[in-house]
Amino acid sequence: MRRQIVLPEDVAMQIEQILRELRTRARADCTFLADISGQVIDIHGGVEDMDPIVMAALAAGELATMEELTRQIGDRSFGRSLLHEGERRSLYICNVHGTFVLVVVFSTDTPVGLVRLFVRRAIERLSPLADRFEEIVRQDKSVLGVDFSAALSDELDKAFGGI
Amino acid sequence: MFINWRLRELNLKIVYYGPAVSGKTTNLQYIYAKVDPRIRSEMVSLKTRGDRTLYFDFLQLELGRVAGLKPRFNLYTVPGQVYYTGTRKLVLQSVDGIVFVADSQIHRLEENVESMWEMRENLRELGFDPDGVPLVLQCNKRDLPDIVPTSLLHDRLSLNGVPCFESVAVQGVGVFETLKAIINLVVAKAQQHL
Repeated sequence: MRRQIVLPEDVAMQIEQILRELRTRARADCTFLADISGQVIDIHGGVEDMDPIVMAALAAGELATMEELTRQIGDRSFGRSLLHEGERRSLYICNVHGTFVLVVVFSTDTPVGLVRLFVRRAIERLSPLADRFEEIVRQDKSVLGVDFSAALSDELDKAFGGI
Repeated sequence: MFINWRLRELNLKIVYYGPAVSGKTTNLQYIYAKVDPRIRSEMVSLKTRGDRTLYFDFLQLELGRVAGLKPRFNLYTVPGQVYYTGTRKLVLQSVDGIVFVADSQIHRLEENVESMWEMRENLRELGFDPDGVPLVLQCNKRDLPDIVPTSLLHDRLSLNGVPCFESVAVQGVGVFETLKAIINLVVAKAQQHL
């Protein structure tokens, strides 16, 4: 069940470091992490015309589909990873303990084995953070001030008001 | 609701649910067409060859900073066709608020009821209390003949106390009112915990 999730600064910093190192070591164009519902947590690098927000939603959907497909054939494990090898760029999508979605975009000049190796290491480092993230999800602490609603309403009026 | 203090972002997931061709995708298309391109993502639609939603439509809106946070609204639709029940459940994962888009035509009444029943069942299976999820009813297609009164729709869907909006999504009538209502409901619910 969904509750309010607040990502602590230290977890965010560690994620940033892991993504940065993964991008460098795996010679990737872009690395990003989303939560399992497809909301982007952090991103490093990029590719022209690529919208990481859209990609995160799609990648989460893809993993959810794979999980359901494996469940249909009686397998209880998560849909762990998906690899697309393209003509110019490839895409590696991984499920990190059912908590995060890790996406790596890399050139076809980069060996897939290299990417797999460093992704595996990144996942090892992300695992304890995934556990902490799940703990935070269970805590259900509110952090929105009482005046947030009114301020948001004003901002919505600004964005939609003239329509 | 997901808050990332490092990026100063607040993410909300809102799902448009309802029976086939009730106007869920039309809501998103209208929003996409009308909002300032600087505050929206591209709209992604995973469609069948017959131009019907296969998996989901997705659109993100991003507002300016509110109390130090940049609110981002992730809007999803589900495929309405009966066949895709498994997919609808997947899209509901981690939902923060739901807009139920009902088709107001008399001959679609039972399909609305079935879709609502299925939605509640899917929520239960995902571990939600269906009565605890912020919900707004949008009675769409109010411009067509042979429509039922909104009060009847409201009653048949057993939605006591749920805000209801009349709409003609294809013309944009009621689209933004509905969106604002669900956003405000989600935020209000988050603040109840204070």
